[in-house]
Amino acid sequence: MSNTVMLIPMFFPFLASTLLGMIKFATKEKRNIFVASIIIANFLFLLLIIYLKGTIDVHLFMVNNFLDLYFKIDKLGILFAMLASTLWIFTAFYSFSYMTHEGKEKRFFVFFTFTLGITISIAFAGNLFTFYVFYELLTLSTFPLVIHSGTREALESGKKYLIYSFGGATLVLLGMILLFSISQDMTFIPNGVFRNIFIDNSKLLLSIYMILFIGFGVKAALVPFHSWLPSAMVAPTPVSALLHAVAVVKAGVFAIIRVSYYIFGSKTLENINGNLYISFLIIFTILLGSLLALHQENLKKRLAYSTVSQLGYILLGVVLLNENALIGGILHLVNHAFIKILLFFCAGAIYFTTGKKTIGEIKGIGKKMPITMWCFAIATFSLIGIPPANGFVSKWYLAAGGLNSNNVLFVIILLVSAFLTAAYLLPIVIAAFFQGDKDINNTENEPPLSMLLPIILLTAIVVLLGLFPNHVLNYIESIAKTIV
Amino acid sequence: MIIKSFPLLTIIFLFITSFTMPLFKKDVISKRLSFITLSISSVISLISVIYIKFNGEIYYRVGHWDAPWGIELHVGIIEGIIGLVFTSVATLAIWYSMFSLERSMKERIGFYYLLINILIGSLLGIVYTNDLFNAFVFIEVSTIAACGIVVIKNKKENIKAALKYLILSILGSGLVLMGIAFIYSITGNLNMTFIHNELIKIHGQYQSTVLITLVLFTIGLGVKSAMFPLHTWLPDAHSNSPASASAILSGLVLKAYVFLLIKILFRVFGLEIISQYPLLDLILILGSAGMIMGSVLAILQRNIKRVIAYSSVAQMGYIFYGIGLGNELGLAMAIYHIIGHALTKSTLFLSVGSIIEQTGNHKLTDLRGVGKEMPVTLSIFTIGAFSMVGIPILPGFISKWYFALASIEAGKLLYLGVILASSLLNALYYFPIVINSFFGEENLKGRVYMSKNKPLKELVPVLVLTLLVFLIGIFNKGIIDAIRLDLF
Repeated sequence: MSNTVMLIPMFFPFLASTLLGMIKFATKEKRNIFVASIIIANFLFLLLIIYLKGTIDVHLFMVNNFLDLYFKIDKLGILFAMLASTLWIFTAFYSFSYMTHEGKEKRFFVFFTFTLGITISIAFAGNLFTFYVFYELLTLSTFPLVIHSGTREALESGKKYLIYSFGGATLVLLGMILLFSISQDMTFIPNGVFRNIFIDNSKLLLSIYMILFIGFGVKAALVPFHSWLPSAMVAPTPVSALLHAVAVVKAGVFAIIRVSYYIFGSKTLENINGNLYISFLIIFTILLGSLLALHQENLKKRLAYSTVSQLGYILLGVVLLNENALIGGILHLVNHAFIKILLFFCAGAIYFTTGKKTIGEIKGIGKKMPITMWCFAIATFSLIGIPPANGFVSKWYLAAGGLNSNNVLFVIILLVSAFLTAAYLLPIVIAAFFQGDKDINNTENEPPLSMLLPIILLTAIVVLLGLFPNHVLNYIESIAKTIV
Repeated sequence: MIIKSFPLLTIIFLFITSFTMPLFKKDVISKRLSFITLSISSVISLISVIYIKFNGEIYYRVGHWDAPWGIELHVGIIEGIIGLVFTSVATLAIWYSMFSLERSMKERIGFYYLLINILIGSLLGIVYTNDLFNAFVFIEVSTIAACGIVVIKNKKENIKAALKYLILSILGSGLVLMGIAFIYSITGNLNMTFIHNELIKIHGQYQSTVLITLVLFTIGLGVKSAMFPLHTWLPDAHSNSPASASAILSGLVLKAYVFLLIKILFRVFGLEIISQYPLLDLILILGSAGMIMGSVLAILQRNIKRVIAYSSVAQMGYIFYGIGLGNELGLAMAIYHIIGHALTKSTLFLSVGSIIEQTGNHKLTDLRGVGKEMPVTLSIFTIGAFSMVGIPILPGFISKWYFALASIEAGKLLYLGVILASSLLNALYYFPIVINSFFGEENLKGRVYMSKNKPLKELVPVLVLTLLVFLIGIFNKGIIDAIRLDLF
């Protein structure tokens, strides 16, 4: 068997989603079984290929030096692909129930499976060009998901999403062109393509880095380019959850990791001071995201701003350019994915069963939906970083990384922001459990099992990641060792 | 070798068959005749391209008269490829119009096909000829034929558009003629190769004459190929014709003139002479202005065909941009863009033509939700639009990428901004069309799925065009390398 088998987990979802669009299913159950088997099968394909083949690469077609669709499985790619596939399974089961009240389920599942293929392609893209191709496709394939409801508001938000994304992608294109004209090589290589080339034009290099960073930063919701993300909350909850957890914003972060460590390399970045200017933007992102989250009355919007600030942590870990910080950043990428998708699932479950969207409305809901709200509370503690939950581990490494780079300021910002995280998430938990009328009708009203089960399992994962972080941590350490 | 006469054969073949068309009373016969002759021409063009690929360029003496006295055709690989693109796009457009032309006009059907054959024949003449005066004759023939096609629907707005087109075109040809007169008076030759050899010797003595000639050619052919401030005739002329005619006018006619301009600038004068004057910078600036303003004007339009017509102005801007960069890569990409845009724009016009034909609407606001009614056609349109916006692997992206590399090579970094701004602007008017026709609750209300779809057999030519668009994008390296090898 040749290496082309590694293309299966990327292209099988494309094929399957086309089939899904064409087949007319007799009942919803049959369609759901079909979707579930696609996604689980794809997960198994992925596992099998990683297990059997390890790190391999394949040139899908190579027209010339730059027009080269090249895929490579490496450790960072495996991490991202596994994260995406795992969360996709949870989201699929959650959506089977949730999407019944949104309608147009078939269209949803077609684009849902298609996006899975694109996300895995992004994970395994072996050079910047391939990455860019699938990055653009990601925008196009998630667009129908964002405007799913088709209302005027949804279309407006979708337009905003497209304009921001394509604006960012255009910057990326500009950066790519300039980069290609210098290096003639855009392959992702640990420590970067510049390691053997002596660069005297450091100003040009710095501007290329800034252009690429801001271009990808648009997707990673970097302040001041973040405003598409809260608007995109008009999407159905499973979509928002995925956009936040892996599919879109993390693709932006992943891109920045790739560009920083696999195109430029930490040495080159240090020489050109690429991290210095960027870190101001990031500090701004962390603080502003938290502060804006405080004011949101809509539950999903509050979670959205929380994402903005949490992404700031990850980016901070990336640009500090030392090993501990990078470990913290990547670990937080994983942890935040699980926590945020869990928080969104809970918010969605509340909306699904009671139709309530704002924080004022959900007072006392902890008595009606105890399981959901307990899971929400656990996720909240994790995100704030109370030990032993998983958020604590990643923040610990981030703080250690900040100290390694002799910068106490970062540590202070981390602490302030942790406090702010508590300030915007804890009131929700308090409102749910301790407020509201005493004589409220206390019949339990949990969401259906196919929604509740993903929530419980995700909570279990969040707790386990906090208690036993070593497996993931060792894996991430092995990535970080090779690239810093 | 008989193959050496193939280029001339296509031109003469198309002309002769067109003149036999009035002899038949039934329109059906001229329709089929036109389709058959055009398909034969494409096959012949394909054979000549293959022949040139293996045996090198063809110099063909018409009537066995040697060069300075007789007319000479010069067909290298670039001319061969362009000829192939012209004939095959025309064949597909005519194939498409065989099913649909009667629905948009009732009379003069036979006359339409006659004009198309003359037009394609003369365009091939412009591309192939190595003789300036001969080129002028073909320009005039093509102008008359093109004006005839614009006016063929015989409605008020068509006559207005045709008059506008005719007046500006004749102005353009007049300038070209004056240019030829000037150049003949200082070199005594009409054959491009001979003029070039003469000019190399004497251009030092006639600097102002050379400058005037250059400006005359640039402006004259610039009017005809819709260089930015001279584009005013284009939207009217292109948006009022039948779909297949719009595809040919926009995809091919503009390209023939711009290709002639490239030949005159780089083969007749040569880079050595033109780089003494700021002419290329002027072309670069006008090209950039066209890229931006064409898109800005397109955003303001309410009629879908006018949107696409203005988009042509922007895309011609790219070609002038490539010429204006004045380096090898830029020029090669200008020619690649001629090919890519010929295919993409005709795809867009044909798909929009079928939308208008099926729904009867041409306003952007009325076309909402049409993606549910005609998903196949709209998907084709979407692919064309993606190419214009610059989604990777499609030809539009390839052009933009290499144009950008060429501007870096030429040291004109600031012009990168123009390319990026223009692709963002493209997205700004193509995406809303696509989005509103596929998505949106209000837009889709009351629309029945596939209700207005065209029969698949009528869509085959458009599907073939779409396939060609993909192929041009995927095999860009081979095409660009072939072009670069054969540059003047």
